[in-house]
Amino acid sequence: MRLKKGPPDFILFITVMALLGIGLVMVFSSSFYTTYVQYGDDYYYFKKQLMWAILGILALIVLMKLNYLRIKDLAIPLIVLVVICLILVIPLGTEAKGAVRSLGVGSIRFSPSELAKLAMVLFLAKTMEINLDNIKSFAKGILPFLGLLVLICGLIMLQPDLGTSFVVAGTIFFMLLVAGARWSHLTVIAFSGIAAVAVAIAIAPYRMIRFIAFLDPWKYAQTDGFQTIQSLYALGSGGLFGMGLGMSRQKFFYLPEQHTDFIFAILGEELGFIGVFVVLALFLLFAWRGFRIAIKAPDTFGSLLAAGITVMITFQAAINIAVVAGALPVTGITLPFISYGGTSLLFTLAGVGLLLNISRYSN
Amino acid sequence: MQTTGLTVRKRIATLFFLFTLGFILLGSRVFWVQFVRGAELSEKALQNRMRDVPVESKRGIIYDRNGRELAISVSADSVYAIPAEVCRSGKERETAKKLAQILDMDEDQLYQRLTRVSSFEWIKRQIEPEKSKLIRNMELSGIGLTEESRRYYPKGTLASHVLGISGIDNTGLEGIDYYYNDLVGGTKGRIIIEHDAVNRPIPEATHKFIPPVDGANLILTIDETIQYITERELDRVFKERKAKSAAAIVMDPATGEILALSSRPTYNPNSFSDYPVSNRRNFAINDVYEPGSTMKITTAAMALEEKVVNAESRFFCPGYIKVGVETIGCPDKKPHGSMTFAEAIEKSCNVAFVQIGQKIGMENYYKYLNAFGFGKITGIDLPGEAAGITVPKERAQQIDLATMAMGQSNAVTAIQLITAVSAVANEGKMMKPHMVKQVVDNNGKVIKKIEPQLVKQVISPDVAKELCVMLEGEVTNGTGRQAYLEGYRIAGKTGTAQKVGPDGKYMSNENVVSFIGFAPSNNPHLVAIVVVDAPKGSLIFGGWIAAPAFKEIVKDVFHYWEIPMYNSAEIEETKEKVDKILVPDLVNLPLSEALSLINSRGLKAKINGSGNIVWQQTPKASSKIDRGAQVIIDMSPLEPKKGGEITIPDLQGKSIKEVAKILADLGLHLVPDGYGLAYEQSPVAGKIVSNGSVIKVKFQPVGE
Repeated sequence: MRLKKGPPDFILFITVMALLGIGLVMVFSSSFYTTYVQYGDDYYYFKKQLMWAILGILALIVLMKLNYLRIKDLAIPLIVLVVICLILVIPLGTEAKGAVRSLGVGSIRFSPSELAKLAMVLFLAKTMEINLDNIKSFAKGILPFLGLLVLICGLIMLQPDLGTSFVVAGTIFFMLLVAGARWSHLTVIAFSGIAAVAVAIAIAPYRMIRFIAFLDPWKYAQTDGFQTIQSLYALGSGGLFGMGLGMSRQKFFYLPEQHTDFIFAILGEELGFIGVFVVLALFLLFAWRGFRIAIKAPDTFGSLLAAGITVMITFQAAINIAVVAGALPVTGITLPFISYGGTSLLFTLAGVGLLLNISRYSN
Repeated sequence: MQTTGLTVRKRIATLFFLFTLGFILLGSRVFWVQFVRGAELSEKALQNRMRDVPVESKRGIIYDRNGRELAISVSADSVYAIPAEVCRSGKERETAKKLAQILDMDEDQLYQRLTRVSSFEWIKRQIEPEKSKLIRNMELSGIGLTEESRRYYPKGTLASHVLGISGIDNTGLEGIDYYYNDLVGGTKGRIIIEHDAVNRPIPEATHKFIPPVDGANLILTIDETIQYITERELDRVFKERKAKSAAAIVMDPATGEILALSSRPTYNPNSFSDYPVSNRRNFAINDVYEPGSTMKITTAAMALEEKVVNAESRFFCPGYIKVGVETIGCPDKKPHGSMTFAEAIEKSCNVAFVQIGQKIGMENYYKYLNAFGFGKITGIDLPGEAAGITVPKERAQQIDLATMAMGQSNAVTAIQLITAVSAVANEGKMMKPHMVKQVVDNNGKVIKKIEPQLVKQVISPDVAKELCVMLEGEVTNGTGRQAYLEGYRIAGKTGTAQKVGPDGKYMSNENVVSFIGFAPSNNPHLVAIVVVDAPKGSLIFGGWIAAPAFKEIVKDVFHYWEIPMYNSAEIEETKEKVDKILVPDLVNLPLSEALSLINSRGLKAKINGSGNIVWQQTPKASSKIDRGAQVIIDMSPLEPKKGGEITIPDLQGKSIKEVAKILADLGLHLVPDGYGLAYEQSPVAGKIVSNGSVIKVKFQPVGE
């Protein structure tokens, strides 16, 4: 098969670079005080994030330039690698904040679940394309993917990491939707998913408390509602124009995870609703370009992959922002491109590389 | 080339629509948080980050009516800790040990307080200056010193019940200091610093210094001298007669100003914790008693006003009278025989007063009882005033009317009775009793002036005057002879009343004796009441116990006021002497003080020039001049003349701030030594120095 090769989607690229730029600035702004106090170095997180951003852009370029037909070949090895890593992380991983999420030595950390999301999308795009004719059948077209979902999410839940499982599950769900699954099947899956989340909350007391605290954070202001309230304090202090870049007050040890999961709250505090609006608009722009690439992709695999990557990133962004705004319980997922977190940034940019690769072959 | 299926493309478009919707919802949610709840959240966030350090305000000075200080504020350092800072230094143990040593505190307890999760902890309030110096020099991190002011009552027990007490937090707890706490206490200041979550000040943080507003100064209606005289007499009768409690009030009937008010037992407000709490009860206004015969003044006033009697109305006393089934008698059932109304007052005849009460009638009696203010508070500006108890009108029987008319059955406070009797002394006009004349700020500006307030014209002026004459007879010929004072016309009434015991019946062994009167009776300058509860010894009668105290008070107050005695040769002579008046030393006094000195001596002042401080005076101090003569005072020009000579004022007993202000106004430099109140100065007062000279003043803390 011969493909006509065009330029990559420039708007998407610019959008991503803008988000990445905002992210780097915000990582520095939100972390300089705490890192200065803790490590005596204002740039501690910023430098690491910058390094990962450069690595991520390299990965983006490599994947963008890769022969489109070769992408499909990556799917199987990657998913196998992911499964192995997810199993290995249980005995070998480093514990942080009550969960075992990363592999590695010293300060070089690698979170397999971040790779899992991208590998999943790739694998699904490949298998769904093959299985597209059966998509209307629950047993043949949907059940295998649900099995995969249970496997991957199950492994991630062992860490435990409900947030990432939720994003993975959501991505699979939306890919089934794109692939053309029946609405009735999708409805059943959605309700089952909600039920599964409810069970996950009910069986773990800490999740239960978090959930109750989510419903009335002010009542648990000093315990499980603390993060939500500090986050609302930050956002609420922002107003229209914000307190000014670097002028956040909540980052002074008040808001935990202020440079990772809750960076958006600091952004809202410093840059106000204007900043919030710009970031939301950039993500929506990203979604538009991503889905446009998916629609114009040269084949179903390309469509599914582009849609999958776009969904994966924007869905996670939406969940993160909802948590920050107190509309969802605290789950512990990052804001793509913006939050501090090396592996996450690397694989998000790698995903964008694939998106750009597909965009070059649009018709 | 295989193209993507239509379904897939449709579904992608659907998904994009869903995501757009999702983002719009998110945006709205954030908008709601930032705008609808923004103000509330940012305020809460700010509160959450702010740490307060209180800055005490200085309590205002309480002066007597002539500007003498009755309550002042002195400052002392207090030690506080910021536990987070102490812990950060890592020297918690060491700090606790050092502080414990200096402050004489328990080390372990101190350690616990230093390591407590708190943003601010007082370690010790108001410590001695040497200790504060030691602590300051050690420069312990997380330990700070702040100047706090403390109430000091320089006159000790004098007027303790009036002035009240103030707690360590600089708040008034009782008396004037409590009643006017909002005015006198000022407003606490605060230093607010924005902190991070582990209690370090945030760089470029919001700092707010809200300076304290010093309290306003009060000028009381109390005259220190009269208060002193009153307390001296009250003390004597209280101690001699081993009474349970006692009270005396001196009031100006024309204005309702309280010139002196005192209760016994008493306490020293500077060390109030050394006294039983019950000593702090202000008997004069907090407690009620059955007034007995003193109440007959009001009964008489009612009868005259209602014209049911006149001075010549006759009464007959066989020693007792039957009211229904009850019998009311005069003391020992001794008959007074036939007498006029005026004689009934002189003899304080119960039988006659029962008859008078009956003539007045239930309806009218209650009308006047109410008009005279019984059974309700007078509204005096002191805390905890009791309302008194009257027999409820709807339940009152003839026997109640009879006993009320002679002064039993109802219970009153001393302040109520003196207010009622003041109406008689003031041509029937009842004035509201009050303690504060003026509220002035630190620059001497009058913020508020309390004008005399007429409560009610209770009886007509003619009736009041007539009654005054009759009451004078009581003192000259009647039961109040012990209050008779040669050279002055005194009117008054004694009272000896039974007390209701815990069982609700009258006690046989305890009485409340009292005397209420006014003088001179033709033009009353003062009304005074002396009440003694449960005195011991012989002759337990108001006439023998309270009347002499009353007499002594009036005598000395009239001497102090230099009120001339009437018609006697010797008196004329005395008057001559009195009328030559010593000119006071006014140099270097503030104008207001100089004027009050001149006025209090009955002299006139002529002011030359402008300025705050008297520069020179003519005639010189200690010269003798006629009453009403003029003293010329020259005010110091604002800018002292070059090389001008300045007389050094007497600074003794003044606070550092006052001394600094006085010397600054004179163009002199202060070199202070120590703290507290000035007790030594060099050069000494009266020396003449040139402008810009240095004055060394030694200060020492009060009460130590």
